[in-house]
Amino acid sequence: MEEAKRLYTAVIEGDAKAAKETTEQALAAGIEAVKLVQEFMVPAMGEVGRRFQCGDYFVPELLLSARAMKASLELIRPLLAAGGVEPAARVVIGTVRGDLHDIGKNLVGAMLEGGGFEVIDLGSNVEPEKFAEAVREKKASIVALSALLTTTMPAMRTTVEALGKAGVRQQVKVVIGGAPVTQEYAEEIGADGYSETAAGAVALVKHVMGLKS
Amino acid sequence: MNGRERILAHLRGEAIDRLPLMPITMQFAAGQIGVPYRQYAMDYRTLVAGQMRTAEKFGFDFVSCISDPAREAADCGADIVMFDNSPPAFREDKARLADKAALAELKAPDPHGGGRMTDRLRAATLFKEKAGGDKLIEGWVEGPMAESADLRGINTIMLDFYDDPSFVGELFEFVLEMELRFALAQLECGAEIIGIGDAAASLVGPQIYNEFVWPYEKRLVEGIHAAGGLARLHICGNTTKILDGMGRLGCEIVDIDYMTAMSAARERMGNQVLLGNAEPVGVVRNSTPERVSAVVGECHRAAGARYIVGAGCEIPRDTPEANLRAMSDYAMGHKP
Repeated sequence: MEEAKRLYTAVIEGDAKAAKETTEQALAAGIEAVKLVQEFMVPAMGEVGRRFQCGDYFVPELLLSARAMKASLELIRPLLAAGGVEPAARVVIGTVRGDLHDIGKNLVGAMLEGGGFEVIDLGSNVEPEKFAEAVREKKASIVALSALLTTTMPAMRTTVEALGKAGVRQQVKVVIGGAPVTQEYAEEIGADGYSETAAGAVALVKHVMGLKS
Repeated sequence: MNGRERILAHLRGEAIDRLPLMPITMQFAAGQIGVPYRQYAMDYRTLVAGQMRTAEKFGFDFVSCISDPAREAADCGADIVMFDNSPPAFREDKARLADKAALAELKAPDPHGGGRMTDRLRAATLFKEKAGGDKLIEGWVEGPMAESADLRGINTIMLDFYDDPSFVGELFEFVLEMELRFALAQLECGAEIIGIGDAAASLVGPQIYNEFVWPYEKRLVEGIHAAGGLARLHICGNTTKILDGMGRLGCEIVDIDYMTAMSAARERMGNQVLLGNAEPVGVVRNSTPERVSAVVGECHRAAGARYIVGAGCEIPRDTPEANLRAMSDYAMGHKP
């Protein structure tokens, strides 16, 4: 169990090398992959989110922790898949059409992945139809949309409409965020939720999915 | 007292007839003359026409060369993506310095070399012809953090601070030299104040800001001052944790974005002239003239006399004219 505790620390400290090594050691010591995720990885990223939210961590530290988490998840994911362990939900995430700003989307994606969700990242400048295709192909239940510009925000509405046209709107919850985005705008375009911060995205997704926080 | 005289007197601490008015407009100004933003960003004549129209119509005390963060990077050979009605943007996967080794080969572009930096110099020259002596002419450069992020990729440089700090130092040295040269060229063409846009500096926190970013911002400000120019710092986002450093740079004007409390800025930045910080979308674009006026009044009271009217960041393109008029009316109707 010492290895798993060191994984927790490695993720918080953003040490990818240590995260990989401790994951290997923990798995070799017989700790179940699902236990590593649920009892160590998710709490570690929760702590990272808390530090980010209260201003102890900033973007560099959050990205370092995300990188450490991914290094560990690369080893863990195949084992989860082989064991038939399903994620809490699949999230399709992307920055909307016309917008190349991706750092906010990346922070949210990392927090959601650290919250136990499977994240399918479509990148930036994503066409509305691509979101719909990904939902269908990946059987996602969440679509997370990001926009940094007032001029690209309307593509959020277009994307929500495209999900409807593709007949997948009813099977997903849509959450949105980005500097110019507001709760009122989320309601106006028929999205299911809005988070002002990356750290708040996990609680938001759990809330709209009816999952326990 | 014209706009230029008003701003300069205010910065010197002298009595003025009313509050100066210096909101950042880019897409809004393009909208005022009915052109796609691509044209505004790519053609200095269009930019100058948009700025002049907006400044005259709303009583601004200045005109600005600001358009987008991609001019310097474009002239460095970066892959810039153009949009008809949004600012030019970068692709992280095709960043100019995605390979760190490329820095050693990279030559700082000549601002007079005929590229996008030259287009900005032409804007400054044309402003001098059309508005010189009447409105303060503002040039614009990217700050060291912002430009380094533009060249290296914003996600990547965030990790570089921990992975390879010496590379970050080399990159910042390159950027400083390029931006200082660009700033001085704009001053020579007629700009009197240089806006320094260092957007990404709000993402890094006080430790990295003070260790890596601040020393280069300071040298940039000192270089502008040495050439006889004034400096305006604009960092988008929540700068609460780095206000002390921002206040020690010696800039004539520091913009405060809406996520930072103006009262905190005043408390921690002494007698600094502050500009801002009405929320651009939630208040300036989406609310009412009455609300805009009330919020600008709150900003003014929090900042005190050493204050210039403006929003936290750019006035959004679709802002109702009545809302910007309300901001203007506040400035027209109030002394510092």
